[in-house]
Amino acid sequence: MNLQAFSEWLSATAFSQKIQVTSWAIPGIQTIHLLAIAGLFAAALVVALRIGGRGLASEPLAALARRYIRAIWWLLLVLFLSGSLLIVAEPGRTITNQVFYLKMIMVALSVVITIWLASVSRRELERPSPVHVFAAAFTMVLWTGVIFAGRFIAYVESY
Amino acid sequence: MNTQIFEWLQNTPLATNISENWFPWVESAHVLFMALVFGTILIVDTRLLGWTSAQHRVTYLADRMLPWTWGAFIGSVITGFLMFAAGATNYIQNTPFLVKMGLLVLAGVNMLFFQLVTYRTVARWDAGRPPPAARMGGLASMLLWIGVIGFARWTGFV
Repeated sequence: MNLQAFSEWLSATAFSQKIQVTSWAIPGIQTIHLLAIAGLFAAALVVALRIGGRGLASEPLAALARRYIRAIWWLLLVLFLSGSLLIVAEPGRTITNQVFYLKMIMVALSVVITIWLASVSRRELERPSPVHVFAAAFTMVLWTGVIFAGRFIAYVESY
Repeated sequence: MNTQIFEWLQNTPLATNISENWFPWVESAHVLFMALVFGTILIVDTRLLGWTSAQHRVTYLADRMLPWTWGAFIGSVITGFLMFAAGATNYIQNTPFLVKMGLLVLAGVNMLFFQLVTYRTVARWDAGRPPPAARMGGLASMLLWIGVIGFARWTGFV
């Protein structure tokens, strides 16, 4: 079964139909998705600033990273669940859309870098190297790209 | 309602250029700024509620976070105005949009009241658990911003 056929099948399932005919469901799920990306973006910013020696600099990096990176993982779970519902509701809009895959690649890359930064932070580096600072800044570029790609899914034609 | 000024705004070269070419970019930037506004204010609101960041003084957290909130808020207002200009005659008749704007005003009033009244005694509770008035302010801020974002998203579906 190709993606097109899968998308049509998914869209015809009772669960997908239920979401599609409930007028508030898609804006409601998208709102949860937006609230979660907002929380994640701010948490990632606090971590990135701290790695750069800025922001909440009075808190040791290990403690701050533990708190905020844990928040990032929980928010990613919310994003994954709400995003999955949005795919089920409108598969033709997402899984056949190249921007959606670009977004997923950026999410994956940012997650990998964040896992690495979490392990670096656990080692209580009081002076992170320029490589760590660059990596942290790069996650912010990636999350910004994720936000832009997320919105552009609505504007780029699915094939 | 006299809609002439909105028709004029929507027909300015800037507005037509946005609606024809740049709307997705402006909208994406608006979402980015919104994320910074809500995300950073949430860090302060949850501290006021006593849920997080007990290791930081309220003033320290506010001083470190709120410049980001304000900077991003200015960006949100500019991108929001550009989006509004691109479809002004529709937005002024869009109920979720009007509700969003009403909630935004309430969030502003809540913040002003907090700054001018509640925050004046912050020295007494800076390192500890904020008093009920401050907790209420944090909760109201959080709920109002959630409302702003929800009605903003709904605006696009009308």
